[in-house]
Amino acid sequence: MASSQDVLRRIKSVRNTRKITRTMELIATSKLKRAIDRMAAARPYADALTGLVGGLYSPFLAQEYPLLRRPAETKRAAVLLLTANRGFCGAFNSNLIREARSRLEALEAGGVEVELHVSGKKGLAYFRFRGAKIASFTTEIGDSPEPDDAEQLVAPLWRRFATGELDAVHVVSSEFRSAISTPPRTRQLLPIEPPAVGTPVDAFITSPATGEIVGRLLPRYLRSAVYRALVENAAGEQGARRAAMKSATDNAGDILETLTRNYNRARQAQITQEIAEIVGGAAALE
Amino acid sequence: MMAKLLKLRVLTPAGEVFVGRARSMVAPAWDGRVGILPGHAPFLTLLGEGPLALKTDSGDAREFGVSGGVMKVEANDVTVLADRVAG
Repeated sequence: MASSQDVLRRIKSVRNTRKITRTMELIATSKLKRAIDRMAAARPYADALTGLVGGLYSPFLAQEYPLLRRPAETKRAAVLLLTANRGFCGAFNSNLIREARSRLEALEAGGVEVELHVSGKKGLAYFRFRGAKIASFTTEIGDSPEPDDAEQLVAPLWRRFATGELDAVHVVSSEFRSAISTPPRTRQLLPIEPPAVGTPVDAFITSPATGEIVGRLLPRYLRSAVYRALVENAAGEQGARRAAMKSATDNAGDILETLTRNYNRARQAQITQEIAEIVGGAAALE
Repeated sequence: MMAKLLKLRVLTPAGEVFVGRARSMVAPAWDGRVGILPGHAPFLTLLGEGPLALKTDSGDAREFGVSGGVMKVEANDVTVLADRVAG
């Protein structure tokens, strides 16, 4: 059995670990709150823009604007995977990576040439380790993504889609259902599925012409979609981290309880033994 | 008599910049400045770069620098979707 000194040392170590995980939990909680606020803040713009694009869209425009083209067959597709830069968030990153892998495999099985674009150190590290070909990556997007980050991610993709180099773009990110439910999901960014919502703008005075406006709005619509995925992902990461750190803190507490009990038992046994020895010694003197 | 007011929302991808009522506003459209008063016909325009000035319902003047985006006017509801807003 471990000596009471060893047990004491372990208690100290577990207590320190618990201090760290609890702090990480608290930090994740406050970052989660901010991330949720950012998600909420992004919604009015995204909703208004979606409504506009939905209202302006017509199949007739699809022939005129390369961003609206609908390739008859998909030969070359891009998958954009959004992961976190940091770990300690449970299965958050591995769920995303698994989703991306199954999407890549499904596309390749369909005879599509797929390229992979990765954001976040975790996804990058995984696919590098596997020796997969990574078309582009960034690790610059932190806890509070900006609309410009989204633009930098997606602009090269939509340009190449417009020239016909790519036939489809998919985004793998986590859907923020709640702080404890952030399942991974793949969304098709391009070809653009016209939004079903939106009020027709036939009665509007438009300047410049409707088509011109649609042409200008589409890149913003794509950026908005990716920005939304980024902020959702950031919120999901913090939610997952909070849950992981909470269970780590709880586990540390359980271990501490067991260790403390062992330590006390060992100490009590030692005291009992000492008393028995003293009593035995005194009895021998009589 | 209570004059009609514009319901104005100035939004950017990152959040709301201004939500409130306005007596009048002047926006930088792509081809020049456009004044909007209550009762304006349905109108949709691209935005350029410049100051967006408005008079709130209490008569205060507010001004933002906006660049890029789109503005929709419909039944006294004005939605400005700007790429960037300063001030």
